[in-house]
Formats: sequence, C-alpha cells, structure tokens
Amino acid sequence: MSLHSRRCWMKSGEEPDMSELWVYIEINENGITDLSLQCLAKGTELARKNGWKAGAVALGFGIKDFAKEIIAYGADTVYLADDARLKSFLPASYQRVLTGLLKQKNPGLMIFPATTRGNDLAPLVATELDLACALDCQNTDFEGGRFVSRRSEFDGKVFTKYLPAGSRGLVTSLKDGVAEPDSANASRTGQTIPVEVVFNENDLTAKVLKREVIKSTVNLKAAKIIVTAGAGIGTKENFGLIENLARALGGEIGATRPVVDAGWATADRQIGQTGVTVKPDLYIACGVSGAVQHRVGMMMAKKIVAINTDAAAPIFKFAHYRIVGDLVDVIPKLLKLVK
Amino acid sequence: MPYNCAVIVREIWDTRDLVGNVLKEDGSLNEAILATRFEPEDLNALEMALQLKDKQGGNVTAISVGQARNVDVLRECLYRDVDAVIRVDVPSVKELDTAVMARLIAEAVKKAGPFDLALAGLDIVEGENSLLGAHVAALLGMDSITYVDALEEIGSGKVVCKRQIENGSEVVEAKLPSLLVVGVALLKDDPRTPRSAKATLKLKHKRTLIPSWTPQDLGINAPSSLPLTVLAGYEGIPQRVIESKQVDPNDEPSLKAMLDEIRRGA
Repeated sequence: MSLHSRRCWMKSGEEPDMSELWVYIEINENGITDLSLQCLAKGTELARKNGWKAGAVALGFGIKDFAKEIIAYGADTVYLADDARLKSFLPASYQRVLTGLLKQKNPGLMIFPATTRGNDLAPLVATELDLACALDCQNTDFEGGRFVSRRSEFDGKVFTKYLPAGSRGLVTSLKDGVAEPDSANASRTGQTIPVEVVFNENDLTAKVLKREVIKSTVNLKAAKIIVTAGAGIGTKENFGLIENLARALGGEIGATRPVVDAGWATADRQIGQTGVTVKPDLYIACGVSGAVQHRVGMMMAKKIVAINTDAAAPIFKFAHYRIVGDLVDVIPKLLKLVK
Repeated sequence: MPYNCAVIVREIWDTRDLVGNVLKEDGSLNEAILATRFEPEDLNALEMALQLKDKQGGNVTAISVGQARNVDVLRECLYRDVDAVIRVDVPSVKELDTAVMARLIAEAVKKAGPFDLALAGLDIVEGENSLLGAHVAALLGMDSITYVDALEEIGSGKVVCKRQIENGSEVVEAKLPSLLVVGVALLKDDPRTPRSAKATLKLKHKRTLIPSWTPQDLGINAPSSLPLTVLAGYEGIPQRVIESKQVDPNDEPSLKAMLDEIRRGA
C-alpha cells in the first residue's frame, strides 16, 4: 500500500469542527503536569474568547479520578482513555488511541505540552491525519480566522509563525511559560466521556523495560539564587564546590544535562530543554558552555554570572558578569568574600 | 550479526553566533548573515550508526534532502566512512515543511532499504518546525524511540535504547526495523562524541559523485504543493540589552565589587 493511500480517509477540504478545541493532559506518577495545566489555561482562554468548548484528552491507567480535577481547571469535556495497556507511555499505542478519537471529532486545534511525550505524539498524530504540526512553540492563537503558532527561532531573535495549509487543523506543542495555570474550581461541572481503546497487534510491539523518574525534591522555579554546574566542572569532587557556593549564598543547585547524565546531580535539578525553565534574581553558571539547549531554560535570569575557562564560550555572550578562569580557583575566592 | 542503518542528515542554519539583523527590512530572512552547519544531533545519530557498524558490521547509508548550501552533509558522511549516500534532489527545501521532507525521506528509505534501523537526530530547538524523525516513523509504520542517548542492545529482532525524559530516563525495547531519534548531551571525552572527517577519505571522496533521486523517482510529484504547515512569516523579538562586565578572577576587589553590586540589586 502506498504511503498516501494509507491515510486517505480524510477527504481533501474536510473542514475541522470548530465548536471545540482540545488540550492533551499529561498525567505521570506525580499527577497532572504543570505544563499540561498551562496548556489547558491557554486552551480555555482561547475557547472562551471565541465561544468554543475546551476539551481535554487524557490517556493512561488508573487515571479516572483525575477527570474531576481536569474539569476543575477549566475543561468542559474530558475524553478519558483508561486502560491497562496504556500504563506505560509508548508512542505507537498512545497515537492509535488519539488518532481514533481525533477522527471522530476533528477539532481545529489540538494543543500538547512540549514535553518528550507531547513532542512524540503531536507529529505522529499529524502524520496519520494529514494535519499541520508545529512543535516547541511559545504560543498559539486564533487570528483572522486561522490558528497560528509562534516559535522562537534564530537564537531567540525571531518568532516564526506557522499556520495550517488550507482548512486543515493544527496540532501544536507549547513550551513552559505559555500561561499561568488557572486555579482549580471544584464546583465547575463538565462531562467525562470514556474512550474505547482498540489496538491492532502492531500497536503494542514496543515495551518500556525500565523507567527511572525521581520525584522533584526542589522547586527551582521559585529559587531566587541558583548556582549551576555545567560539564566544565570536570569531576564529581568539583560538584562539592558548587554545593558550597549555593549553600553560602542561600541558593539552590542547578545542573546542565551532561552533569545529570554523569550522575553528579539528580534529574530534578536539570535546567533547560527537558528540564525546567527558571527566572532567578541571580544565576551563577559554573563551567556551563551556554549551549542553546541550556540557555532556553535560564536566559531570563535577572543577573547572570558566568565562570568558564574558555573565553569564547557562548555563555559569555549573555552573561552580565564574565569571569574567565577556572572554577576551582574562582569559587573558593567567592566563598571567602561571601562569608 | 550485521545490521544495516539509514541515517537522515540535514544542513541547518547555524544560529550560535548571530551578529546583525536576522530579518531584512521587508521582514524576510537575512540569509547573507547566516552560516549553516551539520545538524549536531544528526552527527550524533550518524556516530551511533557508525559505532554499530564498527562493532557488528553492516552498512550505513546517509540520506539528505536538498542541494548543499555551504556544508555538504552527505560528503561529510563519506569522509566519515559511510557506505552509501543519497541525495533527494528538490529545487529548494524552503518550499517544504517537515511533513513533505518526511515523505521524501520515508520513500527514499524504502527504496534504498531494507534497513534494520533508521536514525535521525533530534531537532535542535531552533530552525525546524517539527520532530522530523517522528513524522518519518509514522509514515514508515515503524516503532520509534525518541530522545535516545544510548543504544544499549540489539539482537533477536529487537533494539533496546536508553532515552532521556523529564526527571529521569527510560529503557525502551522496540521491534526491528525501528526508527531512533537521537539526542545526546556529550560529556568531556564522551565515547559517543562524533568522529571527525578522515583526511584519507577526504582525498578519496572529494569528487565522488553523489547519487540523487528526484521526488518523481520516489513517486511524489510536485512536493512543493504538498506542505501541511505554512511558514507564514517572521516577527522580530525585542532583544534584551544587557550590560556585560569582565571581572578579573585574580583581583579580589573586582570580585568583591561584583558581589556588592549584585547584593544591591544594581
């Protein structure tokens, strides 16, 4: 079968159903994720403004009790797929359920949180249904009768605007900071619609063999001062210096992904893509090169101090204070002055 | 046991050292100030495929869409000892969205295959509009594992990878053939670091003819009429102007002055 005919169910020019937009709600071992609630706030805002309903879609196992909470946060309808085969997140099986659901309703917009899950699902669903797709966007809106997503590109200098071609719907994933989550209102009412889960044999070939996710023990988003360790710290021993400086300043410890990968810091301390986005008053980057993957998570800090041996490191382009030197020498000096 | 791999490689804008205005007065992209580079995560994907070949044997085929602008990523692959390269020849990649790119690549993978694994890099956060590998996997109807940072095991018709997720990691098993979307955070002296071009291969492949297929060869007519997503234009983002000071780490008064300034909230 050709690629084209496999997906020809949607007749060209088929208009999306504009009475409702959808938001994908991600539920993990810590409950509904904060970014999902941000996306729901964005979705309900757009829906209210335009007289649509805000639908929420949640997939998983043992998640029935979350429907009420999702409605309390603003959803009018919750499409809930609760099935033992959805216990582990796997792109193929989750995609199958979502695609089936979207085929029935065909909303004009579906918002995903721009997480590893959301970014997995959005393009799979878009490809299956010939929908437009724009990932990792800062915002999505309805302008001049069309959905448009804006994404920061070219070193944060430009928003690129993405629209669906023709009258098809848009699936988009939105990044941390898109909206403040609404406060929950337990008296809100809404409808919960159970979703039938049907799989083909091919949807269930992948398996999660191991999952290691830690519960966050630190709220970096609320921290006023963060001292971050980058790959340039070199050894686990030097991580102790970062801890000392953070403690002396009354701040929190942050880390870049290589440092987390090396096992020197726990994953809840990761700042940047797949980590958290922070806006502290003071950010001290130690041995951090300033790669874009990290920068997106910290570039809005009020004051940035960078310590790095490499004078050409990109971090120095957006640091308020540039200290070219070895953190092994510099941090003890700072510690002495702080004390 | 040998495994055959297809690696998807791209030449993208290099946005690391942008000086000057990215947009021209008419709102279009100021391409004159933009350099390009080999998509860094595609290089990590290529390295993963080459290491599998070094260990188990098999062939590595690199596939790219469009003519080279400044960096010929396919020639760079030849310099790193891939076995075959294929260019999907379109007049301009600018007219294509990720969905069309994915269709061209999926058809090229089918035509050049069969492969046990297809690998693509994770799109870095700037300059592409969608996770290309996921689109390709959907079109090929393959299992995909995304955000892969290590290929842990391959054999008995299965591949096992470690992937990075929020607040941790997962180990996922998928059935072959499958597609891996690679995203690696490299440590110092990391064994996953992409190899450099080899001087001898540079000499050997300087003029090697790179085979190309047209969209028609792949059964896709007029790809520029097929995008599902439209790039509707650019808007400048007001830039934060920061006052930046160099602080001499060997001069204690300077360090102290910095700390005092920060304390005062200056």
